[in-house]
Amino acid sequence: MKTSRHLIAGPVLTAGLLALLPGCATNVNTVERAQSQATPHYVSDKRVVTDNTLARTIRVNSINQATVSGELLKIQAEVENLKSDLRSVRYKFEWIDRDGMAVNSPTDGWKILNFSGRETLRISTVATSPAAVDFVLKFSELK
Amino acid sequence: MTTHRFKTLLLAGVLAPATLLVTGCQTTSETRTIDATGPQALNTSNINSQDWANAADQLVGSLLSGGALDKAPVQPAVLAVDRIINNTQLNIDTDLLIKKIRVALSQTGKVAVTNTMGLGERAVVASEAAELDEMTTGKKAKVIVPNFTLYGKLIQQTDRSNGVTQNTYSFQMSLVNVKNGLTVWEDERQIAKQTKKSTVGW
Repeated sequence: MKTSRHLIAGPVLTAGLLALLPGCATNVNTVERAQSQATPHYVSDKRVVTDNTLARTIRVNSINQATVSGELLKIQAEVENLKSDLRSVRYKFEWIDRDGMAVNSPTDGWKILNFSGRETLRISTVATSPAAVDFVLKFSELK
Repeated sequence: MTTHRFKTLLLAGVLAPATLLVTGCQTTSETRTIDATGPQALNTSNINSQDWANAADQLVGSLLSGGALDKAPVQPAVLAVDRIINNTQLNIDTDLLIKKIRVALSQTGKVAVTNTMGLGERAVVASEAAELDEMTTGKKAKVIVPNFTLYGKLIQQTDRSNGVTQNTYSFQMSLVNVKNGLTVWEDERQIAKQTKKSTVGW
């Protein structure tokens, strides 16, 4: 009898835990067009990782660029939360001109990005100076 | 152990933590300079410096991406800043938003902001200089009519549930073509901040 109780308790506990798990998840399911009509201009990037924890939390899948209002550079990054729970990080865009000098803007600064589990978000910004030709996208953990 | 020695030890045991507590209450002020929009900036339920920069960045990005300014008959387009209505419970200077937008738009070279009309910036000295110029030259100063006016509104909505207060700040902005009164661009960005009150305390 004791053995049969153990035999029953195991599956029941497992079933209970499995039933609880979807309730805790905040993951995002997505549906999109199978053959994308967009033709983004992707930017090849160089990455420097100094925070391995952060690198295991979020991933930049791609970066694409466009020009708006004639000559202003617009950058968009597709960022994915690699974890299955709510996550928040900070990010910041910096602009560089043709001579390698920083181009400052009053709208610069760290911004907060809130993800659901396994969610992919797109962040973008427009350079406020036509002198901006390059960019640096920074991420930092939100403490 | 004698009773006297026990009492002494007991007194010391009580006094030592008490002394630590008292010294723990002493506070020394410490000031450090931080980046106003950096990670160390204080996050409160109000609109902080990061929120202003974030709202301005998103609105400027939307305005430039929309291409409305490119359709002006002259380049750079002449812009007059209209009223910015503050419908929040906060006593704030709306220039915290508008100045950032003005500077950012001016940096693009797509916009020249007029100071002869609108509430964006008082141009008292500029008006006096224009009057003086009129008197000395005998010629009427030429006032350029703006192509667009920019107006906005700040709204705060407060919701409470289960000890959590959420303040949602809406930043609304519209660009109007003065020739026909049509809105050629408008957008709204929201920043929501949740505050949970600590249940411990008196």
